[in-house]
Amino acid sequence: MRHPSLIVLIALAAASAMPPPAARALDDLSKYPDLKGQWQRIGPNRWESRENKAPLTPEYRAVYQDNLDRMEAGGVGDMASWYCLPQGMPMMMSLYDPMEVVVTPQVTYVLISHVNDSYRRIYTDGRDWPAEGEYERTFAGYSIGRWLDENGDGRYNVLEVETRDFKGPRVYDGTGLPLHHDNQTIVKERIHLDKSDPNILYNDLTVIDNALTRPWSITKKAGRVPNPRPMWQTAVCAENNSMVRIGKHAYYMSQEGYLMPLKKDQPPPDLRFFKPSPK
Amino acid sequence: MVCNRSSLGAVALAATMSMALAPARAADEPRYPDLNGQWSRAHAHSQWDPSKPRGLAQQAPLTPEYQAIFAANLASLHAGNLGSDPQVYCLPSGMPRMMIAYEPMEVIVTPETTYIRVDHLNEFRRIYTDGRGWPAEIKPTFDGYSIGRWIDRRGNGRYDLLQVETRGMKGPRTLDADGLPLHKDNRTVVKERIQLDSANRDLLHDEITTTDDAFTRPWTVTRDYNREPHPLWPEFLCTEANNHIPIGKEFYFRSSDGYLMPAYKDQPPPDLRNFTPSR
Repeated sequence: MRHPSLIVLIALAAASAMPPPAARALDDLSKYPDLKGQWQRIGPNRWESRENKAPLTPEYRAVYQDNLDRMEAGGVGDMASWYCLPQGMPMMMSLYDPMEVVVTPQVTYVLISHVNDSYRRIYTDGRDWPAEGEYERTFAGYSIGRWLDENGDGRYNVLEVETRDFKGPRVYDGTGLPLHHDNQTIVKERIHLDKSDPNILYNDLTVIDNALTRPWSITKKAGRVPNPRPMWQTAVCAENNSMVRIGKHAYYMSQEGYLMPLKKDQPPPDLRFFKPSPK
Repeated sequence: MVCNRSSLGAVALAATMSMALAPARAADEPRYPDLNGQWSRAHAHSQWDPSKPRGLAQQAPLTPEYQAIFAANLASLHAGNLGSDPQVYCLPSGMPRMMIAYEPMEVIVTPETTYIRVDHLNEFRRIYTDGRGWPAEIKPTFDGYSIGRWIDRRGNGRYDLLQVETRGMKGPRTLDADGLPLHKDNRTVVKERIQLDSANRDLLHDEITTTDDAFTRPWTVTRDYNREPHPLWPEFLCTEANNHIPIGKEFYFRSSDGYLMPAYKDQPPPDLRNFTPSR
């Protein structure tokens, strides 16, 4: 080695050009698509359409029909968000309220304030699925993403995501279209901007679930709100929820604060733990 | 000068290469402190001022009117009632109480916005650092509207302090679970100084000054957070396991087998006037 000092100098020069990790995290954003702003749903929030029916197993088609019948009779159905549980994946990607996408090299965050503030964390740091004990099942699931440069122009244009490790109850939409109760759902997504209109965002979702006879794909679409400083609302489910859940039964709360039946001839709640009122 | 011409050339080449290899960066991006990761509150207990015992020993600078409200609430809690803590019925803590970080906190820094997520009651704040002024009208939220400014106190080209002002809150909010009150007019203004510890980069400080019409003077407390080296991110869902049932102005309990129960001795049952009398 003829010039040890030279190697040190080269190393120093290289090191001085490298910003610290946090700084690098912000630097690298030039490679990522601009997903800033507020995104609102375009199109229906229902999942089934005339052209694209859910390939439910006979068992879960019957579960769905039973739910529709109960809703028809005045019940609230199987959508757990009526008692303020989160919608979870994949229902939350129907964007019942506006979405913000925050891209960092390690994690892409999806922030939606519907029911309550809810969020997804999509890890893009190259990690593998966590081992047992390194995660907890959640309504939003555990998401691992991968940025793709499909145009080969040095810029990422597609975020591929796979999400697993859910808990329930979860459904696809307000009709109670069911996911299997075993919560073994896998959701795959391709999130990308429209090639000709960067203010349109597509999410191509494929759901693999034991309530389905085959993977089911659907595309959700969102538009960017023109205002670069949009208003963000905060949904707080418990604040104005007129539904009351007691055991397995649902009731309404009247404006005056009295419990009300939800459907005709619904019996009142069981008051066995209260002292009988004096006559 | 002992370096020969070739070694100088090599150094210059190395420097040039390292600059070329460094990612393109926006002028102000490599300046932010590394606040990535999961932050857990450093204080064992969750009273508002962690340096003083809870309750009246907090020595909150309350006006006589609000001191009386606080004392009455403490007496009510002591008698076994639920008191005035809005979290009992799953309302968010709001500002400034959410900065107690009952459950882990995540800070996401982007040049335009710093996001603070706290898993407890699923709250997230947006702190705008894009140079905006106060909007003409703020739709009040529990977490308020926050404008921040990054400060480079050492003049070394790196920000080391985030100054934040938050207004536009709504209620009900308290400062802690003892019901330490804020004024019902919701004109609270919260100023914060958020910074990493100068000696320990895994320790975060938030100096919080609350100005409120329930106080005789601004009240400053400092809350600390430790960075978790191996974070888990569970969901904390208030409504999932909440056994408090509000009906009108009363609270009841839900028994483990799903029956309504009194929340205190001799509590009368709810008024069932809207149900058809059983035969």
